Amino acid sequence: MIEDILNFLILGSIQGSIYALLALGFSLVYGVGGILNQAHGAFYLITAYIFFWFYRNLAGIGLVVGIIVGLIAVTVIGGLVYILLVRPLKDSHVGVVIVTFAFAFFMEQVVKVVVDSLYHGMPYLIEGYFDFFGVNVYYHYILIVVSSLSILTFVILIINKSKVGKSIRAVAQDSEAAELMGINVDRILAYTLMISGFLAGVAAILYVPMDIVAPHIGWGILINSFSIVVLGGLGSLSGSILGAFIISYANAFTNFVLRMPEFSALIPVIVIVIMLIARPRGLLGKKEID
Amino acid sequence: MRLNLKLKVKFKEFPGYLNDWVHTFRGALTVVLLILMFLLPFGNQSPYVLGIFITFMIYTIFAASWDFLAGIVGQVSFGHAMFLGVSGYVTAYLIKYMSLPWWISLLFGAIIAVIFGLIVGVPALRLKGPYLALGTLSMSLIMYQLFLMGSMAIWWEGLFGTQLFGAEGVSGIPRLSPDPMVEYLITFIIMCLSLFVLTHLAKSNLGTIFKAIRDDETGTSASGINTTKYKIIAFMISSFFAGVGGALFVMHFRGVNPGIYQPLYSFYAIIIAALGGLTTISGSALGAFVFIFINEILKFVKDIPLIEHSPIGPLMEPLFIFSIFLILVIRFAEHGLLQPALERFKEVYDIILGR
Repeated sequence: MIEDILNFLILGSIQGSIYALLALGFSLVYGVGGILNQAHGAFYLITAYIFFWFYRNLAGIGLVVGIIVGLIAVTVIGGLVYILLVRPLKDSHVGVVIVTFAFAFFMEQVVKVVVDSLYHGMPYLIEGYFDFFGVNVYYHYILIVVSSLSILTFVILIINKSKVGKSIRAVAQDSEAAELMGINVDRILAYTLMISGFLAGVAAILYVPMDIVAPHIGWGILINSFSIVVLGGLGSLSGSILGAFIISYANAFTNFVLRMPEFSALIPVIVIVIMLIARPRGLLGKKEID
Repeated sequence: MRLNLKLKVKFKEFPGYLNDWVHTFRGALTVVLLILMFLLPFGNQSPYVLGIFITFMIYTIFAASWDFLAGIVGQVSFGHAMFLGVSGYVTAYLIKYMSLPWWISLLFGAIIAVIFGLIVGVPALRLKGPYLALGTLSMSLIMYQLFLMGSMAIWWEGLFGTQLFGAEGVSGIPRLSPDPMVEYLITFIIMCLSLFVLTHLAKSNLGTIFKAIRDDETGTSASGINTTKYKIIAFMISSFFAGVGGALFVMHFRGVNPGIYQPLYSFYAIIIAALGGLTTISGSALGAFVFIFINEILKFVKDIPLIEHSPIGPLMEPLFIFSIFLILVIRFAEHGLLQPALERFKEVYDIILGR
């Protein structure tokens, strides 16, 4: 019993910190540019596959090279998605949604063609574990929580303290006024997509060793990010972090305490439906969805 | 009352009205293509060719229902596969376990899809624009998970003694008719009826309200129209036709499994409608034709030894090609590929007629 509860707390926190990274990026892109990025799961997918490819084909240093190349690639792809696909269609919300959806689909096909469509596993970045009241706590778990929380803090500090962050907040408040004040709105929006891609990439590298690498993983990530952001409030950064932990603990609760892992897949949609009926603006959101 | 009058006027001018329509470019093209399609099974009875055309017609109905919702009412759904799936499962279940005739099952399937559309639509339509897209996408993924669940399968089997949930799905359903020609003609009639009803709904008074909602929702509700009510009506109409498509789909492929709920089929509807041009409901017929045609060509191209062993061999996946297609169409050609092509064609037609 105590082991179940410990498992629930430990794995809930791990998943929570991963989802906080994912949801923060998703919410940032929406909050600043009003772009609902359907390719968010594809960012995760791309990094996971680059990481996996280097691990499989470069013995020894593959993991390190994979992490570096994967993070750089996903950041660049985030910028390219904005410049090539989103910017030309910025006036039409539906166009942005369809084109990013098509991009996500495209990436799923690319990994199928370039790698294969099988399921793969990855080793933990740090081997070894210690015993904690009968529960194995892997050092990798600690790595996940520490690195994702520090990256979260870093990104939030950038947004709140730096000059770029000031421009980002200005564009989020009123992009027309920001443009008149001499801020290059396009560049800021490209930055937000790059930050969101980077965060999704970090999440992929940390979480893939505990999960699987398969072509369809992007969709689950997208749905989870969306449900978290609906729960926390669209465009609210603190709301998305809070939502990430709530959803992850709910997930871990069904897995380890109720022992019904099949039903944890239903949590996101139940959350979406309840929130839409009861409180459409989310827990910490300021305005209604429109 | 007014509708009655309108119908009467149309009816009185019936031959002339039809005559005028046939003499327009669109009318002439439609009539010629429909006659060609009607005559096809009398000329070529190979089950392979007829099968391709039946698939094409089923996709047309499905994509037209998506296009009605997205193009006319402006509500983009990314989870349209769930209506296909719900109706498909109901139809399969009724045919296999209740031994009902196909047309009753088809009607039931479509009606259940409408009810399902109502259930999904009420919470989903609180979302606007892009959120509706993501909301419906997540609902279809949840349906996928639900139907894949092993425990649901055991529970259902214990309760009713039949197999519905689970990865195997329902299989071994007879086709509409053992004769491919009869199946072709029935599907053809259903497709014509669906396209006729959808295009006329889009032109009717109801369609005017729908278009007003698409163009300016705030303005429409300020004019005293209950937009939520009409959006739900539109959702139900669209899910009805998607349900008809789903029932035909399941009967043609002789089975159904949870894979029907994947984003893949929603993607098919979007790419077909985008190829044909959004807001042109009958355009999805042309889009579906191009889609199926390219699909079949790629199958041949892939088997050419020279290409199969070259580096571009694995790139000949239809989905790979179509996702690039969709990106390019949305990015560079807002009106689809076929709409501008048709307009070019129309100029030639006008020159020939000396207009």
